[in-house]
Amino acid sequence: MSLPLVYNWRNLFVRKLSTGLTFTVVAVVVFVLSVLLSFAAGMRASLASSGSPYNVVVLKPGATSESTSIILPEEASRATQAPGIARDESGQLIISQELSVQTSIPRRGPEGVMANVAVRGVDPVAFRVHDNVRLIAGVEFNPGLYEVIVGKAAAERYENLQLGGEVTIGRLSNRPCRVVGIFEAGGSALESEIWAPRTVIIDSYGRHFTSSIIVRLADASTAQKTIDYINGPAVNLEAKREVDYYEDLSSKTTEIVILTTILIGIMGVGAIFAVANTMYAAVDGRRREIAMLRTIGFSRRAIMAAFVLESLLICTTACLLGLAGSIAYGELIATRQDVLSDATWTVLAYELRVTPVTFFAALIVSILVGVAGAIAPAVRAARIPVIEALRKA
Amino acid sequence: MLRLVYLYRNLTRNPLRTLLTCAAVALPITIFVLSMAVVDGINRFLDNASRQLRLAITQKSSIVNPLPEGHRAKIQSLDPSRSRLVSVCGMRWIGGKIERDPRPLSTVAADHDTFLTTFPDYKLTAEQIEAWRRDKQALITGSATAGQFGWKVGDRVVIRPSVPPYTPMEFHIVFVAEDASDPMTNWCRRDYVEEELKKAGYLEGMVSFFFVKCASQADLEHFRVAIDELFARTPDETKTQDEKAFMSEFVKQQFNLPQNLTILAIVTVFVAIMAATNTMSMNFRDRLNEIATLKSLGFRSGFVFSLIQSESMLLCLLGGMIGAAVPYIAFMHTPLRNFTLPVIQYLEIQPVVCLHAVLIAACIGILAAVWPAYQGVRMHVVSALRNLE
Repeated sequence: MSLPLVYNWRNLFVRKLSTGLTFTVVAVVVFVLSVLLSFAAGMRASLASSGSPYNVVVLKPGATSESTSIILPEEASRATQAPGIARDESGQLIISQELSVQTSIPRRGPEGVMANVAVRGVDPVAFRVHDNVRLIAGVEFNPGLYEVIVGKAAAERYENLQLGGEVTIGRLSNRPCRVVGIFEAGGSALESEIWAPRTVIIDSYGRHFTSSIIVRLADASTAQKTIDYINGPAVNLEAKREVDYYEDLSSKTTEIVILTTILIGIMGVGAIFAVANTMYAAVDGRRREIAMLRTIGFSRRAIMAAFVLESLLICTTACLLGLAGSIAYGELIATRQDVLSDATWTVLAYELRVTPVTFFAALIVSILVGVAGAIAPAVRAARIPVIEALRKA
Repeated sequence: MLRLVYLYRNLTRNPLRTLLTCAAVALPITIFVLSMAVVDGINRFLDNASRQLRLAITQKSSIVNPLPEGHRAKIQSLDPSRSRLVSVCGMRWIGGKIERDPRPLSTVAADHDTFLTTFPDYKLTAEQIEAWRRDKQALITGSATAGQFGWKVGDRVVIRPSVPPYTPMEFHIVFVAEDASDPMTNWCRRDYVEEELKKAGYLEGMVSFFFVKCASQADLEHFRVAIDELFARTPDETKTQDEKAFMSEFVKQQFNLPQNLTILAIVTVFVAIMAATNTMSMNFRDRLNEIATLKSLGFRSGFVFSLIQSESMLLCLLGGMIGAAVPYIAFMHTPLRNFTLPVIQYLEIQPVVCLHAVLIAACIGILAAVWPAYQGVRMHVVSALRNLE
């Protein structure tokens, strides 16, 4: 027979200070874990949703990202001969030549630190290729005019990128471009960008080449054929599935996860010691009580289970508080984060996301801490010599 | 002496609890030391940058946009005597990787004739200067990079730039900067890169940024404004900042590490305080009758207070020293030294950071014992003795 849960619950309040302190320690550990993981999850989510299985990204061999790649016009025209490219209603190939550049824009808010925001020069065909891009306010830019459209995340995060705002691009310092539209792109990295007519970017940055070519495939399953052709001697450029391209860019999030694991490992062990300390105190303070429970028939196992359960009660409630804290932190304080990618040299805006994975990781860590911290004290409790403990009464 | 013996006995009376508490303090202190080492590294880097009397000039709209190399002569014309504006060095970032190794390099191509006068913090011997001047493929590397890749002076290395010309380029290492503030960056000669660009048919004559060495702080202030004015309303406007402002812009965009790591360090110290408070209050409760006896024997409240305080401080100091020593030894004296971290890549733990950590551990000890010690002082002897079992 096991002890009633209410017994454990009431016991927690016997030693308010000690329980409270351990509770706080576990809650803080879970909070740190959850915040760090949701950073990684937020970044990963915005990069992972960026690729379409129908798209192939073509870069210069050796270039690590669109912004460091230079494709010369003759190379670009060779790429158009690759097999498997989709055509639109009028028979035109759906291939988007894009020019990736950057501009410095201050972040919104009191500090106004400058951020390197990605600017993508595109032709109208880009909207066919990036089919998740949808205007949510305003209109599309007019290819001949100094007009831009802005991703939702960028509009929220940086100064002057709201509808009707003006932004200076490249060498056009005396002719600012007007923001005529805001677009969303399914939460992807494109939402951190500014899109402008390619002609305007060529002119203002003096770049008569292409950074990347995005090829739309008629059939996603023939991607390898197209990639092989482009990588081969006929074109000699480097093609990747768009999904893989963004996957590579999100390698940094793996580093965050590794770092988090190490950090939480260290903090978790510290928390185990705190829990063990509290539980030892609980056991030592209740020797007579435990001896009494044993006399009236509760087994050693029941006693052990009671202490482990007590520690689990502390840890899981602390876990819930820690998680709640991290959600509140994400919603209220760190609403939008951005990070300068060292591959693209541009900022990526993203939101903290408490995903189910984060939730379970936090739960598992707190259960581990609870059990590991309680085992030794529980064993001691089970081994209390009954008669001797009662005699001391 | 009696007190010390008493303290020692108290600590060894419940060795398990002492050990647990030590560990619960030591682990957060370890995290504290690691994160503050990173912050400290960044700060030392920035402080060194601010001492160098250098200006960094980038294209106005974005650091990624290049400037024409002709700007150098125009900047130099601001002070033909070279007495205030010591030298101007154009640079082009080429990043790069070596073959079959995913680790990214930070390689910058610089004007070889002015690099050494602009960056006198690189102390080359006369022979090495000669090699840098004579050999177009010369490469100066930082101690951390050299350590990671096992490079030494005289080695030939092949780096594939991440920007045009993209083709593999061979370099000869002429100098390993042992005590440079930036132990990661490789410096090569820009004329070599330009030549390769020409061969591959790319646009030449563009630089990513210029560094300008000034003679004094007043000159620095003067040229910071004067250079931007020189290029105002031209197609290639500039943005001139002192080196510290230039560098800290990078740092802030990378997760704002100094700020976030400081928060993390504070949180972990908070955890340590909790753990230590827990132990001390339990210790105190265990020994209620003992303390009551002490007081009834005539020991003053002050003695009781200092007894509880010093026990806590000793415990936390011990934990703090272990917590600070472990990462120090691990990162400074084992192969972990070559471990690369994201963003900062290189971790150097200064003894002063460890010292801070130990001091903080002592403070944790004091804070943790405040409440139990206060209760000990306030304790009513008669009622405490009455409750004795």
